[in-house]
Amino acid sequence: MQAVKRFINRLRSKSPWLLHFDCGSCNGCDIEILACLTPLYDVERFGIIHVGNPLHADLLLTSGTVNHRNKKVLANLYSQMPNPKIVVAIGACGVSGGVFREAYNVVGGIDKVIPVDVYVPGCPPKPEAMIDGVVLGLQKLLGLNEQKEA
Amino acid sequence: MTRTAILIACGLVAGPIIGGLVSGMDRILTARMQSRIGPPVLQPFYDVVKLLFKEPLVVNVWQAFCAYCYIAAASISVVLFFLQSDLLLIFFVQAVGAVFLVVGALSSTSPFSQIGAHRELLQILSYEPLLVLVVVGFYLETGSFKVADIYAWQHPLLLKLPFLFIVLGYALTIKLRKSPFDLSTCHHAHQELVKGLLTDYSGPFLALTEIGHWFEVVLLLGVCTLFWATSWVGMAVLLAGTYFLEVLVDNTTSRMTWRWMLSYVWGVGLTLSIVNLIWLHQG
Amino acid sequence: MDIRAGLIAILVLAPFGGAILCAVLGASRVIRSSIVLATGAVLIASALWLIPLVPFRLPAESFLGLNLHTLIQAADVVLLLIILYYGLKHKHLVIVALAVLQLLLTSYLEFFMLKGPLPVERVFCDHLSLMMVLIISIVGSIICYQAIPYMENHEHHYHILKSRQPRFFFVMLLFLGGMNGLVLFNDLTFIYFFFEVTTLCSFLLIGHDRTAIATRNALRALWMNSVGGAAFIVGIIAAYHETGTLELQKILATSGAGSGVYLLALALLCLASFVKSAQFPFQSWLLGAMVAPTPVSALLHSSTMVKVGIYLVLRLAPGFNGTLLSDSVAVFGAFSFLAGAALAVGQSNGKKVLAYSTISNLGLIFACAGLNTAEAMIAAMLLLAFHAVVKAMLFLSVGAIEQHIASRDIEDMRGLYAVMPLTALITVSGVIMMIMPPFGVLLSKWMAMEAAARNLYVIVMVALGSALTVIYWARWAGTLMSDPFAGRFRPEHQPVLTWLALGPLCVGGGVMSVLAPWLYTRMIVPMLASPYTPAYMNKAGSLENVYGTFAVLPLSVVALLGLVVAVIALKRAFHAKIASPYLSGIQTGEPSMFLGPMNQPVKAEAKNYYLDTIFGEARLTDWVNLGGGILLTLILGGAL
Repeated sequence: MQAVKRFINRLRSKSPWLLHFDCGSCNGCDIEILACLTPLYDVERFGIIHVGNPLHADLLLTSGTVNHRNKKVLANLYSQMPNPKIVVAIGACGVSGGVFREAYNVVGGIDKVIPVDVYVPGCPPKPEAMIDGVVLGLQKLLGLNEQKEA
Repeated sequence: MTRTAILIACGLVAGPIIGGLVSGMDRILTARMQSRIGPPVLQPFYDVVKLLFKEPLVVNVWQAFCAYCYIAAASISVVLFFLQSDLLLIFFVQAVGAVFLVVGALSSTSPFSQIGAHRELLQILSYEPLLVLVVVGFYLETGSFKVADIYAWQHPLLLKLPFLFIVLGYALTIKLRKSPFDLSTCHHAHQELVKGLLTDYSGPFLALTEIGHWFEVVLLLGVCTLFWATSWVGMAVLLAGTYFLEVLVDNTTSRMTWRWMLSYVWGVGLTLSIVNLIWLHQG
Repeated sequence: MDIRAGLIAILVLAPFGGAILCAVLGASRVIRSSIVLATGAVLIASALWLIPLVPFRLPAESFLGLNLHTLIQAADVVLLLIILYYGLKHKHLVIVALAVLQLLLTSYLEFFMLKGPLPVERVFCDHLSLMMVLIISIVGSIICYQAIPYMENHEHHYHILKSRQPRFFFVMLLFLGGMNGLVLFNDLTFIYFFFEVTTLCSFLLIGHDRTAIATRNALRALWMNSVGGAAFIVGIIAAYHETGTLELQKILATSGAGSGVYLLALALLCLASFVKSAQFPFQSWLLGAMVAPTPVSALLHSSTMVKVGIYLVLRLAPGFNGTLLSDSVAVFGAFSFLAGAALAVGQSNGKKVLAYSTISNLGLIFACAGLNTAEAMIAAMLLLAFHAVVKAMLFLSVGAIEQHIASRDIEDMRGLYAVMPLTALITVSGVIMMIMPPFGVLLSKWMAMEAAARNLYVIVMVALGSALTVIYWARWAGTLMSDPFAGRFRPEHQPVLTWLALGPLCVGGGVMSVLAPWLYTRMIVPMLASPYTPAYMNKAGSLENVYGTFAVLPLSVVALLGLVVAVIALKRAFHAKIASPYLSGIQTGEPSMFLGPMNQPVKAEAKNYYLDTIFGEARLTDWVNLGGGILLTLILGGAL
């Protein structure tokens, strides 16, 4: 039973389908994310496919500080993703709100709304760093059958 | 009796395995054409297993019913092909699955799903008559609709049915969801209507539609092999060449509109079929 | 008295009796319903009793002391006078002219042509007649049963104070008797008389509601069917002139002659059949007939009356085997199949979709009759039987739906599953039975395609038409189920008689499909005499011949297993989490609303593709009428 579960988790980590959501970013991180999806960095090697529907996604890649308008949308998208799922917060804004942290409309970081698994700091982070972050997140899927907090 | 059971088992197993491998090679070939490396060849299997074990989410419970009906029909059509039954019957059984896929998509109120479903219906409209005429071509040349008799034919059918092979190529392009006919839903990086027909399917039901699609790919490639059934090398060359051309066309053309698809496929396809059929009539 | 003669008499006359009782005593709802139920029961019992007795021929010279020939001819004259009366009453010149023409021709036949002995063996009941009798009696009675609650609702809905139901059921039952009469006799004048009976009944029933549009469409049906009647009587005269007999079987037996006038006679009878079956360019009467109450559409305009045309052509087919007439009928039928399917794609009115689909399927049967090979004839007969059952069920479901939601438009049936789950499921199962294997309609279409494969014109049109049928059926089935999410299944309330009608038709359609190979060996093989030799073999539930095979029983078993698995999956999905559909904005929690501009909730709306600019009625009708007209000219001219 354990062996089957480990096998399934291993396959899960080999096929992460990615949903990208911009929570109010300046688009610097988004451009770098897009670069990741081009043939130059070829993330399809890891089985990553960019999907448009949270129903199909395993991996939520978010950039930007969250603001009071789109926090509901973010929560909605997260709830529509079927389990198991991973959230990766990209960029300084996503990690903690970045330089915009003090602004009146900014919530200040993705983890204030949904649980985040991997933080990729940078402004913007390099594509290699983002890929590294995603691959790190896949480790979570591998460790699913063991007791994990949050 | 046991031979039948073995053939049924082969059909049920061959579908996913061959279909998945073909799908994997498709992705690698596409990647190489785009100057990148691409996923491992077993990637489709990873995708499907991952999807099968995701938490089930439905927009409408009837999607579950339709997904199962789709894969049932697709697998039955492949099994019938392995049992070398009547080609026209196999075609109609396969059509059952296509209809259920459309009904499942229409059962969601999302406009993306609805438009995808209607485009799928128009795709079906485009290729169905052509597939029937290809089957009729087989009958006119060999005198039988049964796959067993067509395989037993002593001459390569490609020589007598060249235009019908091209017509089958059009049907194959539409069925494989390749540009320029990938209107209703398509492979991963080419999305238009979110995922079109399959937008509101998720998790295990999406996995079932993917496996069903593999069965359909195996069936159509099987029909391709009928065109050069006299030699294994010939079959292999034909399959490899055709599939390579499909991937090439997919990567070098862009998606067109349904009006263009219908007029072009019917215009060219019917003309080629009728010319080939007249040629068979006279011969 | 011979039991067979008794059954024939009951099948033809019992409905007439029931009709008169309805008209006289029918004011009370209870009495009227009992009469209808009793008549239906008598018909069903007699039809079933007839099964082991066929085939047979019986002499029929007189009835109750009166010479039958004179009786029928007199009744015919009365009928034509009634039609003339209606033509005059509505000041419709064409009807008057055609009625007068038919009166003149009938008189001409009677007084100037008929010399020599009249047919003696008038009753001819073989398996084709039996099949028709079973359809008329069983399906027809079921439709009349459903009509009882339907008409109650109908009159309530239209606030009709003085009930016209006695008149309605009088004509419906009269019609059943007329149909039975049409298929059980061998004498052309008898068939002509019953043909006119069905014309008159159709006219009375289409105009039942007495609205302006109903009257207009009823008159259109009357004049078009009168054209058919005129063609019929001219055909009879030509046939009698050539062969010297009115007995259909004897006429067909002289087909060796194959001369121009003989074939022209058959072609004219075919023309009458085409009019009756609403083939192009005569389809407008059937489309107009859809304004009638739905049981009328179910009975007359899908399962029985329009089948008269194909019954006649199937009877005549051995007579024109191997001639240009046969080939042109085949091409004409295939053209109708294609054109009917194309026009149905452009329709959003549910009853009109069903009407065009009927015309389309009848065209396919005509094509099979024209192809005139054993396989084609088998396909024609199977399609006749299965189409009658499934189409009746679809019309009855649409009738029930229409009364509930007060609309016939498919767009208004969007998500009907939420409102009427059981009826929606029955309609979807009807759609499945129309287009999918292993059910009978598809079995016959498969057989027709295999039979047509050698005829290039026919197979190309049939292939195109078949693809078009998938579109309008799948679109309709999907629209019915397009409910944001399906909760617990709670069957809606419908009158008992409605379930009693829909249930047996639905189950019966499925069971008949599984039993199709045995239907073939028991009913159809005995029918095929020379020049057709039985083509298929029933091998353990599969229909097989030298070049094709259809594994009916194995596929049915596998399909049933698949259904069980899919239903289990469905049940499990009831416990799955429900997600909102992917809409065009922020989701609100309400499945079909999203937050649009200015944060206002917007209802997601979708409409089906009807491709009006390509397949719309306005666009195509003139062209298909032209095509039909040209092909008809080919049929009539080529016969010479």
